[in-house]
Amino acid sequence: MKMDQGSLIETAEELYESAPCGYLSTLPDGTIIRANQTFLTWIGMDRQDLVGHTCFQDLLSVGAKIFYDTHLTPLLRMQGFVNEIAVDLTCTDGRVLPVLANMVQKGDANGRPMVHRITLFNATDRRKYERELLLARQKAEQATEELKRLNETLEERVTEEVAERLKAEEALRQAQKMEAIGQLTGGIAHDFNNLLTIIVGNIELLQRRLPEGSDRLQRAATHAMEATRRAATLTQRLLAFSRRQPLDPKPIDVNKLVAGMSDLLRRTLGEVVVLETVLGGGLWRSQADPNQLENAILNLAVNARDAMPDGGKLTIETANARLDEAYVEVLAEPVPPGQYVLVAVSDTGSGMDKATMERVFEPFFTTKEVGKGTGLGLSQVYGFVRQSNGHVRIYSELGEGTTIKVYLPRLIGSDEEPAEMPAKNPAMVRGMGETILVVEDEPDLRTYTTEALRDLGYRVLEAGDGQGALDIVAEHPEIDLLFTDVVLAGGMNGRALSDEVSRRRPGLPVLYTTGYTQNAIVHHGRLDPGMHLIGKPFTYAELASKVRRMLDGDHL
Amino acid sequence: MSAVLKRNNVKVFGRGQTPMIFAHGYGCDQNMWRFITPAFEDRYKIVLFDHIGHGHSDAAAFDPAQYGSLNGYADDVLAICRELDLTDAVFVGHSVSAMIGVLAAIREPERFAQLVLIGPSPRYIDDGDYVGGFKREDIEGLLDFLDSNHLGWSSTMAPVIMANPERPELGEELTNSFCRTDPDIAKHFARVTFLSDNRADLPLVKTRALILQCSHDAIAPEAVGRYMHQNLPGSEFIQLSATGHCPNLSAPEETIAAMEAFLRDPAPVKAVA
Ligand SMILES: Nc1ncnc2c1ncn2[C@@H]1O[C@H](COP(=O)(O)OP(=O)(O)OP(=O)(O)O)[C@@H](O)[C@H]1O
Ligand SMILES: [Mg+2]
Repeated sequence: MKMDQGSLIETAEELYESAPCGYLSTLPDGTIIRANQTFLTWIGMDRQDLVGHTCFQDLLSVGAKIFYDTHLTPLLRMQGFVNEIAVDLTCTDGRVLPVLANMVQKGDANGRPMVHRITLFNATDRRKYERELLLARQKAEQATEELKRLNETLEERVTEEVAERLKAEEALRQAQKMEAIGQLTGGIAHDFNNLLTIIVGNIELLQRRLPEGSDRLQRAATHAMEATRRAATLTQRLLAFSRRQPLDPKPIDVNKLVAGMSDLLRRTLGEVVVLETVLGGGLWRSQADPNQLENAILNLAVNARDAMPDGGKLTIETANARLDEAYVEVLAEPVPPGQYVLVAVSDTGSGMDKATMERVFEPFFTTKEVGKGTGLGLSQVYGFVRQSNGHVRIYSELGEGTTIKVYLPRLIGSDEEPAEMPAKNPAMVRGMGETILVVEDEPDLRTYTTEALRDLGYRVLEAGDGQGALDIVAEHPEIDLLFTDVVLAGGMNGRALSDEVSRRRPGLPVLYTTGYTQNAIVHHGRLDPGMHLIGKPFTYAELASKVRRMLDGDHL
Repeated sequence: MSAVLKRNNVKVFGRGQTPMIFAHGYGCDQNMWRFITPAFEDRYKIVLFDHIGHGHSDAAAFDPAQYGSLNGYADDVLAICRELDLTDAVFVGHSVSAMIGVLAAIREPERFAQLVLIGPSPRYIDDGDYVGGFKREDIEGLLDFLDSNHLGWSSTMAPVIMANPERPELGEELTNSFCRTDPDIAKHFARVTFLSDNRADLPLVKTRALILQCSHDAIAPEAVGRYMHQNLPGSEFIQLSATGHCPNLSAPEETIAAMEAFLRDPAPVKAVA
């Protein structure tokens, strides 16, 4: 077939109508007077509806229309053309078509604008890409800005961070040191206590059995007893520091306790030191071991006295206090924020320098001359307070004085009456032939205890371990009291034994003894409610009093 | 040249004594007065300038807080007047610069004898009974749309993006050479302009003012021009047959004629319906 050459070549008309861009001619006011098919297809309008009726700018999105009026038209008037200006077309179906517009302004002989020729390119992909570029640029700018700021503050932040780290490490080291010393001393003190109990017992035995008239021997025995008691006090403080002393926390009214100590304190402080107590009104009750709290206050008072050899003033204050999050956050040791009862002991003495202050809680740290101080006073305070979930704080100024603040947790939700002060000198009370089963795996200690009890007028049965004790219980229904060590050899500890005995003999009173608390009876250093304990080393008198009260059902 | 004159790229020419200061609107620079000034340069002292961030002004002098409202731009106009010691000037402001001139004239009335306000609007966004012509979303749409032309490399905005100090030649080569704007400043100016509300300032104006209202002006519709006329004490109103928003470019003769009539005639021109 012979082709007509002309039909192979596109006509200008064809090119105009179907070119891949939109062509428009408009009057200077924007009225469209001609549009190609490509544009009509884009916009979705018929030629007759568009041409002559619509202004180009009216086909634009609002933003693009403002831009057309404020930027594009002025530019076109000034330059005679514009190239690749972005505008958004709004199609009849609501779609927005991003395009790039090239416009040329044609004028008459006088240069008056007559017509605009507009070429539009579909810029969907390009615009998307440009948006991404813009976002990337904004991100890059932000990052640069951020980096600049970081750089500017880098040195400062490093210094801060390092200081923070050092502080935390120091606190940790301090806490670890205290913990390690605590374990060490706790272990030694525990063994020591057992030995002391035997020594005390045997000295007492000697004292009782020495024939009349052997005065020199009696005096020797008295000296030995005194020294042993001092040794016992030391081990007690060591145990306190290691937080392994058996505590017997009770609801206490700290005001009452402090008031009850005033005689003792006056005697301790002597003539030259004036004592002032400021007891806070409406003071909350606290929960702590009252004996140990007395000890702590006494230790603090003694320290204060020692710091004021030429006299001065000692002030004991109590108050309700609140430790807030911010305060507890910076402490080396964990202290929960909340309500506390504060006991503050202040003096007008020598004060301490910083180096001293950092070490005062360490056991055996003392600045006093040999023989004057053991360095265990504040260790006891520290151990006791920490074991009671409290907090101690020292404020001291060289040459001005010292305040030591003890915070004990407020007791909430208990109507129990504050504990009465323990009797200072338990009266010697004797047995009336009641039967006591003594269970103790340490033979010397068992002998001492048994003898002491027999001496006091009790009938004593003894066992060296749990199983032996159970056998005896089975054979002797007349047993009135079980007296057992908490830690027993042979697989059954005192707690398990007492549980088993209670099953067989409900209501049988049980008295525990221990020098050490890391075991079943004492949770976190505290006695389970309703359990009774006599700490080692115990004296004859303490034993007498405790056993009597147990048997009388007077379980204070 | 003084700092102010440099900052705002101030140009002074003409053979007359009476100052005539021209302020371009949003989207343009002083080039937009090119068809108007020849008619006045024989009789007036012509003062042209670029708003900060536009044309050849010093974009580095821009501070978003200082230019946070139209008052910041009015400050610049007054600074120029002070620098050139202008009094009793004719102020010709297009679009947003009409309001900038209004603010300047309220603050230092002695500087201005007449105000020619081309396509003015005291508020672009509708507000109750007041018709400004735009909704708030429209303006957001504009701000968003502006980015399209900030990155289109050969667009109006591009020359400024490209005009980095290391390669100054790039800016010059690009095709659309008029009305350069710094994209960030332009966007800021757009926001300040289209979110402005200076209706309460109108009654404070003591200066004689002419309002030139175009036909089919989408930026400043006729209702807005009428509102201006009603609220601007003693103002005169002329409805131009020119269409669009820039009669100074699309219909310079008609614009010049209206200005001449106003400047020549000390008596109020009767409003043309
Ligand atoms: N109130 C105080 N004023 C000044 N220094 C004090 C005070 N309290 C304690 N210190 C210092 O802390 C040290 C340790 O006190 P701590 O009570 O633990 O032991 P000690 O008093 O030396 O001996 P002791 O075991 O007899 O109490 C003291 O030696 C003293 O240097
Ligand atoms: Mg001490």
